Amino acid sequence: MSAPTLDVVTIVSFAEARDAYRQKDLRQALYDEGEVIMADVLVNLHGDEHRRRRRVENRSFRRETFDLYERHLFPAAIEQTLAPYIAAGKVDLVHLGHELMLNLAALTAGVDRPQGTAEETSRLYDYTMLFIEGATLAHSTKDKDEQRKCILEGLVQWDQEFLQPSISRRRQALASAAAGEIPDSEVPKDVLTTLLRYEDELELPHEVIRREIAFVLLAGAHTSATAFVRAIDHILSWVDAHPEDAHKVLEDPLFVQRCIHETVRLNPSSPVGQRWALSDVTLKSGVRIPKGHKLVIDLAAVNRDPEVFGPTAADFDPYRELPQGVGPFGLSFGGGMHVCIGQDLAAGVVPSGDVDTDKHLFGLVTSAVQRMFNEGVRRNPEQPPQWDANTARPYWGTYPVLLGASA
Amino acid sequence: MPYTVSVDKDVCISSGKCVADAPTAFRLDDDELSEPIDPSPPLPDATLLAVARNCPSGAIALVDEQGQSVDVD
Repeated sequence: MSAPTLDVVTIVSFAEARDAYRQKDLRQALYDEGEVIMADVLVNLHGDEHRRRRRVENRSFRRETFDLYERHLFPAAIEQTLAPYIAAGKVDLVHLGHELMLNLAALTAGVDRPQGTAEETSRLYDYTMLFIEGATLAHSTKDKDEQRKCILEGLVQWDQEFLQPSISRRRQALASAAAGEIPDSEVPKDVLTTLLRYEDELELPHEVIRREIAFVLLAGAHTSATAFVRAIDHILSWVDAHPEDAHKVLEDPLFVQRCIHETVRLNPSSPVGQRWALSDVTLKSGVRIPKGHKLVIDLAAVNRDPEVFGPTAADFDPYRELPQGVGPFGLSFGGGMHVCIGQDLAAGVVPSGDVDTDKHLFGLVTSAVQRMFNEGVRRNPEQPPQWDANTARPYWGTYPVLLGASA
Repeated sequence: MPYTVSVDKDVCISSGKCVADAPTAFRLDDDELSEPIDPSPPLPDATLLAVARNCPSGAIALVDEQGQSVDVD
């Protein structure tokens, strides 16, 4: 057991956290134990190196691309993924959430499944779950060295089976577009394609591309999947207490989006943000983080700051009123240069003023959660949900639900 | 006179959020970095402030009619 370090500064207020995320001399520290997946990955870079890669990758995260995903690609993925579970009348939300979001994350990352079989998707699912263990190693309760060994082996196998064929197809597409054989609009818009398109500028070794795409895959699948399960849990409880809102969940995607934002506020994917101070940093509040010290941003507390979210900050309330300039999801997506690149894709655009629902982006979690309620999702009274014992993070390990009309 | 706006291209990370939030005020240049279409955009100050606050890299600066920098943090 390692000795507790004294060189840690912890902040719990919203204003200090927002200030800290914008400080350029505070470097990412959350993934230090997960280097097997996270070394040289975008979210772990700093300064010029980070800016250079983020500028390139942001080209895959434009709102017109999100529109394509939300209105065209994802509805079909939801239909296909849900069909067998609707037929069975039941499903485990934890598994379904990851399976559903993996289908989208694979599109975003640029990982193909040419066979299109359930077995192929199952193998990609297993690899992704392994990569999630890598990114969250800091909070693992298992033997971490053993985990690292398994994750590295899985990464190499995934590279051969999924990544290298996906790279070959994209190189071919880029070459065909350059030769004028196909229009550029037919070249995929995913992160892998973008990295290959700008590879001369970025000069990334294959191992870095491997970890980067593994990270996009795991991050896209895992954060949205956990939000999916937690949102359904919160909404079920809300409707139990407020049956007058049951119809809104079925009919009003803006209400569901508000529920998603409130869920994400109360349940950040990681309960803390962490940074290393590269020089002495003093926040506006006067809090000082000396050079070499670690800053811990207690997101669970920050997102329940009563100064910002009011005296009921710890409660789930989709009608909560917020001060101007405060996101309804708190700081769960981080802030500053490392703000989540897929935020608008997952949680949609924050509505302001009159919303044109034909153009508004509600987010993929909103779409998936509302679809579950339209399929009659409800807790299974014979199988209560259980927490995941393999991590100190508050994840559901299993959450059985029933679908279809109740008997 | 409304706020005037500028973008520090050395700091911009090309998130495109300003262009998506305020397409009449910002555009991406040939390197996909943000730039104001006009230094005095035809938008309310509150809207420009919200756009500047939403910039992940803090690349957008606002100046008020007295020539003072506006705190966007």
